[in-house]
Formats: sequence, structure tokens, C-alpha cells
Amino acid sequence: MKHITLLIAGLAACLFGCNRETPVLHIYTWADYIKPELIERFERENSCRVVIDTFDSNEVMYAKLKAGASGYDLVTPSSYMVKVMNDQGMLRKLDHGRLPNLKNIDPGYLKVAIDPAMEYSVPYMLTTTVIAYLKSRVPDFEPSWAMFSRPEYGGRMTMLSDMRETIGAALKFLGYGINSTDRGELEKARDVVIGWKKNLAKFENEQYKTGLASQEFFIVHGYSGDVMAVQEENDDIAYAVPVEGTSIACDDFVILKSARQVELAHRFINFLHEPDVAAENTVAVNYLCPNQACYKLLPQEILDDPTVFLPEEIKARCEVINDVGPAQALYTAMWDQIKAAP
Amino acid sequence: MKRSLVPYCVTAAILVFFYLPILVLVVNSFNTSRFGGSWEGFSLVWYSRLLNHREIWHALTNSLVIAVSSSIVSVLLGTTAALALHRYATRLQKAHYMLIYTPLIMPEILMGISMLLFFIAAGMQLGLFTIFLAHVTFCISFVAMVVLGRLQDFDFSIIEAAQDLGANWWQATWKVLVPLLMPGLVAGGLLAFTLSIDDFVITFFVAGPGSTTLPIRIYSMIKHGSPPLINALSTILLAVTFAAVYISQHLLEDKT
Repeated sequence: MKHITLLIAGLAACLFGCNRETPVLHIYTWADYIKPELIERFERENSCRVVIDTFDSNEVMYAKLKAGASGYDLVTPSSYMVKVMNDQGMLRKLDHGRLPNLKNIDPGYLKVAIDPAMEYSVPYMLTTTVIAYLKSRVPDFEPSWAMFSRPEYGGRMTMLSDMRETIGAALKFLGYGINSTDRGELEKARDVVIGWKKNLAKFENEQYKTGLASQEFFIVHGYSGDVMAVQEENDDIAYAVPVEGTSIACDDFVILKSARQVELAHRFINFLHEPDVAAENTVAVNYLCPNQACYKLLPQEILDDPTVFLPEEIKARCEVINDVGPAQALYTAMWDQIKAAP
Repeated sequence: MKRSLVPYCVTAAILVFFYLPILVLVVNSFNTSRFGGSWEGFSLVWYSRLLNHREIWHALTNSLVIAVSSSIVSVLLGTTAALALHRYATRLQKAHYMLIYTPLIMPEILMGISMLLFFIAAGMQLGLFTIFLAHVTFCISFVAMVVLGRLQDFDFSIIEAAQDLGANWWQATWKVLVPLLMPGLVAGGLLAFTLSIDDFVITFFVAGPGSTTLPIRIYSMIKHGSPPLINALSTILLAVTFAAVYISQHLLEDKT
């Protein structure tokens, strides 16, 4: 036997040989959340490159960043996650001097926001939780959570499989706060949901869209952006915000402590809150950018939509779901009891 | 004698389960409707949107670069591992087999998070290279298993015969061993390729900025985007796969 030859596998390092001259802004966000033409415009105006990576849930995004993954500059978590991330010291304080467009942010929303001073986060897109229904099948619809206690629609209704949303709906129905940590209130809410559950086909987060479009379900509890997208398919679909109030969810832009392109990140946030950009984006992604200067640029049909621009008295009853701290365990216990109930 | 109908029914049922979902996906990729609940008419709108969607193409390129490079490297490493395990028995043989088997049975999430922690502790920038390393790591085991299977009924006396007839080590390896092992190498490589291109859990953890792969992109789009684009993309991938299989079969037939 002769000498043994060693095979050495060489790896092409050119995988990383991208152009180093143009600065690159890394954004970590949900899929299809910023209109692509606007990103191209930002790239042209700032002679930079924008690279977008996507995640599919707040929790996994958090797990990954918390473990130490770095290289991202901007992230769009939901408000409650912003609070968690900030408590962990993961976010950079925003420099308001570089964000002149913050004056455009709707003060009406900021009143209920978790970070009203916008110290660490700037609201990007708002959505409300609504009740959607088929006009032909539900002639006597009324905008109230009480719809879910109607036995005549038994088996044809769904509610979200999300403990904060669904227990929150019951809390609102009872007139309590959506972030209640009171055991008595939560127990009453639990009993209300158990009553509703008898009429529900299931608790459901994704399939309700298809189910509504194909007329399998008549009444569903869902997110306004999703419902609007289904509505484009089927004219028979209508939706409303319950008079008792509902939850408002917001995804916010935050800059990570580990960000490298801090200046560019500030410029990007500021760019998205230019009134014309915000209006264009709102139309493209079906959510509402809470930018009051852009409202007058929106098409009339969006302006007239009472689920996008809530009437004042309903708006006063809506709340943002916030982190409840140790009471989270109480919610989980209630949710388990609801799931286990017959 | 009357033949039982059961085997036919089972075969038919299995074929339906295999191919009906794919058929539904292909049909829906031409559906105007965004939610695919009902047929709203034929259209190519999703295909034209797909053409203009640079993030998806970027993700697809990432996936292909990683799948091709990691399957080539894992075939090389996996084959040498299999040869070593098969030819050179030591007292630690059992332990060596264990080392190769373990990644096969280790839960993906555990592997993903441990690799993430390791890369960060080692101060590596997450990106395509870390995904490549992770994929090679879990593909090696699969390749080694496939090649080991092939080696079980390999008669090493032909190598000795080749050497008796004057072949040196290099010639014996490339002219005798590799051609005979080729079906195992190709099978291992294809397995590694498919494992790599659709891996989500491990990839998610070790991916860095700018290295989103197709599965990660698709997961995010299901939650927050337009699924029909995915149908269109999958249809194109299917067509390419079938074409590749068809062509490779033809090439093999011509040779024999």
C-alpha cells in the first residue's frame, strides 16, 4: 500500500464577497410587510442596500436574538414583545433629533400605546381584532361579542386560538380591562368563553380565512388585515368592531443595541413615516399606519371604513394587549380550563 | 383462484395520498382566488408576481447554494467516514458508530439551538457559512449510513485483485471502488440535497442577516403573506425536479 493521499475540500469564500462599499441595512420582519417599491426608493435615495429577513412568530424571533444572533439593525416585533425586549436591554434608545417625522404619529393611538413617548419603538402598523360574518347567512348581525352566544349559529363560528385575544374578548364583553390581572374577573371571563365554546366549531388562527371564503363558517373572530384580504375575494363578507371594545395590536419598529447601521436605521424609520410613503404602504399591506399626516392621502373607502378608523366612543373602549407579567400563569390556567371544558 | 383486491386498494390509497395534495397545489397555483377555497378562474397572476419578487429569488438562491455545496461536501466526508468505519475495526468501533448515529436521532431543535450557541460562543458571524456547516453536520450521518449499507455487500477482494494486476492505490480507488460505490454515493448525495433544501428548524437558528432560505421565507409567508405565490414557486420547483429525474434516467439508459 502506498502513501495515503489526503483530500482537502476547499470552500468558496466568495459566498461572502459582496460589495463592501455600499452600506447594507438589515431588517428582520414579517413577510410582505413593506411595499417593495418603497424599499427600492429608499435604496435609491440613500444609495444603500436593504436586506430583509423574515420570521413567523414573535417568540422564535425573540429566542433567536436573545441567544445572541446579531447583524440585524431593525426589527418589527408586536408591542407586547417590544416591552419584553426592552426589559431585557436589547433595544437602543431612539434619537428623536433624527426622526422629525415622529410629529406625524397619531396621538390618538399613542394614548393607548405601551411606549407612548416612543423612547424605544415607533408604531408601524395597526390592526384591530374584529368579528367578520357572511351577510347572506347572518341577516340579524349585531356588532357585539354576544354574537358568539347565539345557538342558532352553533358549529358555524370560530374564535381565535389565542388566550389573550379570546379571554380578552370575554373581559371586554364583561366591561373589564383587557389586561386584567384580577382572579375574580378572569374567572368570570373564563365562564363566558366556556359558554361561547358550546357554539363554536373550533378555536382557529389561520383556517378561518379559507373557511369564511368558502362559506363553511358564518361568523369568525379574526384580525382586520386578514379579514380585509378575504373580503377582496368574497363580497358577501362584512365585519365590525364590537361595541364593547376590542384589542388593538401594533407592530413597532425598534433598533437593536447590536445594530451597526444606526444612522441608516433612523433614516429608514423616518422614511416610512413620510406621509406619502405611509399612505402608499397602508394601501399595499392592508393594515393602518398610525400616521395622521397620511390619513388625508388615503382613498375614501379606507377613510370611511369604521373598522379602520374607529368611532370615538368605541375607540375609547379599545386597548392594546400588554405583557401581564406574573399573571400570565393565571391566563394559562384559565385557558387550560376552557380547553378542557366540554 | 380469486385474487385479493386489498393490495390494489392499498396501492391506490397510497398513490392518492402521495400525489393528490401535489395536484391540488399545482391546480391552485393557477387559481385567481387568494385563499384557494374555491375556483375563481384561471390566471397566471401569481407567476408574474413571483417573477418580480426579489426576496423570494434571493431566498431560493441561498437555498440552492447551500444545498449543492453541503451535499457535495457531506458526500465526501460521509463516504470517507463510512469507509473508515467499515475497513478499520478498532476496540472503539461501537463508540464510533454511535458518534455517526447520534445526529440522526437527535431532535432538530436541540441541534439548532446548540449550534447557534456554539457559533456565537466561537464569535462567528451567522450567515450562509454557518448554515452550510450545520447542514454538512447533519447530512454526513445520512450519507455515511447509505454508503455503509452499500459497503456491507462489497467484496474487497476485487480491490486486491486490481492491485495484483498492477493498479496503484489511486487507480484502484478511482477505477474500481468509486464506480462500484457510485449508486450509494448518488443516493447519499440526493438524500443530503433534499434534507438540506427543506430543512427549517436548524436553519432558522443558524441563519444570519441576508441568509434567509426558502423554507424560512415560506413559513413567514404562510403567517403573513400570500400563499399562492408559494404554490406557483412549488409548481416550478416540481417541474424542474421532474425534468431533472427524467433527463438523468435517460442518460443512465443510454450508457448501458
